[in-house]
Amino acid sequence: MASPDTIAVGDELPAFVREGTVHHWNRFAAANCEFAAHHWDDEVARHEGFPSAFAMAPLQHAYLHAMLRDWLGEDGRIVAVAIRLRSPFLRGRTLTAGGRVTGIRREGGETLADLDLWETDEEGTSIATGTATVALPDRS
Amino acid sequence: MPDEMRVTDEMRAIVGKVMRETVSYPIAVSDIRKWAVAVYYPEVPPRLYWDEDYAARSRWGGIVAPEDFNPFAWMTRTPSPDDPPVSQTAFSERELGVEPPRHRALLLTEIRATHSGVRMRPGDVIRSTHKISGYFEREGRMGHMLYTTLSHELFNQRDEWIRTVDSVFARY
Repeated sequence: MASPDTIAVGDELPAFVREGTVHHWNRFAAANCEFAAHHWDDEVARHEGFPSAFAMAPLQHAYLHAMLRDWLGEDGRIVAVAIRLRSPFLRGRTLTAGGRVTGIRREGGETLADLDLWETDEEGTSIATGTATVALPDRS
Repeated sequence: MPDEMRVTDEMRAIVGKVMRETVSYPIAVSDIRKWAVAVYYPEVPPRLYWDEDYAARSRWGGIVAPEDFNPFAWMTRTPSPDDPPVSQTAFSERELGVEPPRHRALLLTEIRATHSGVRMRPGDVIRSTHKISGYFEREGRMGHMLYTTLSHELFNQRDEWIRTVDSVFARY
């Protein structure tokens, strides 16, 4: 798990990979009561200008939280996570989320790490970009 | 209803005004479990989100929700199903008496969350304030687009701040 003693600027987080299928999205729709038709009906999505149905933005935001949490462990604190949607995460594609440490600083008695985040698909399309700040668990 | 996707003086006048408060029902353990299962599918989510024995032995002393957990899904205590229906996201202006512009579609384009470190737990009752915190216009792939930032601040029953979320929606 990440800690002030084990991370450095430039470190990359283990990737968080998820398929874009209704099996994934229906579960999130049920958990979040999120049933906009463009997330499951290709025809509606095309009417709105997209090639096919696409994933929910809060799920993509949740994937970034999950990736950070997996890296931080239970004791770290997620301070901020921002995501900007660049292209839709289309049905049938595979999303890979990643992150890189861009800075480490001491603030308020905590060690904070700043990160750049991204989500891409297997064709190299930038689905989303973002930033995060986390407070690292103190191992001393 | 304005036909063009332009920010009007009436719309500018409601920026920063709280349009409503939402209060959740007490969070159930199964609410947290379902959220975690959905996000981590097809993997099993971390035990802290579903295993009460494990969570009791953790530094948290019990199950906590992931930071991005939504406690307002499906139904809320306030507004309740008996209250007049609240506006859909695309029509938030109506809650403050302003007609929104006519649009063909709505997209969520950006989410910015800031977390306090106070975690949501089973039994917590969460209160959220909602306001429009800004507008801007831009030409996009879909033509002229109107961007609206909706800000939500979440607090628990002890009035501890949990998180602030700014969501940017594009109407076109």
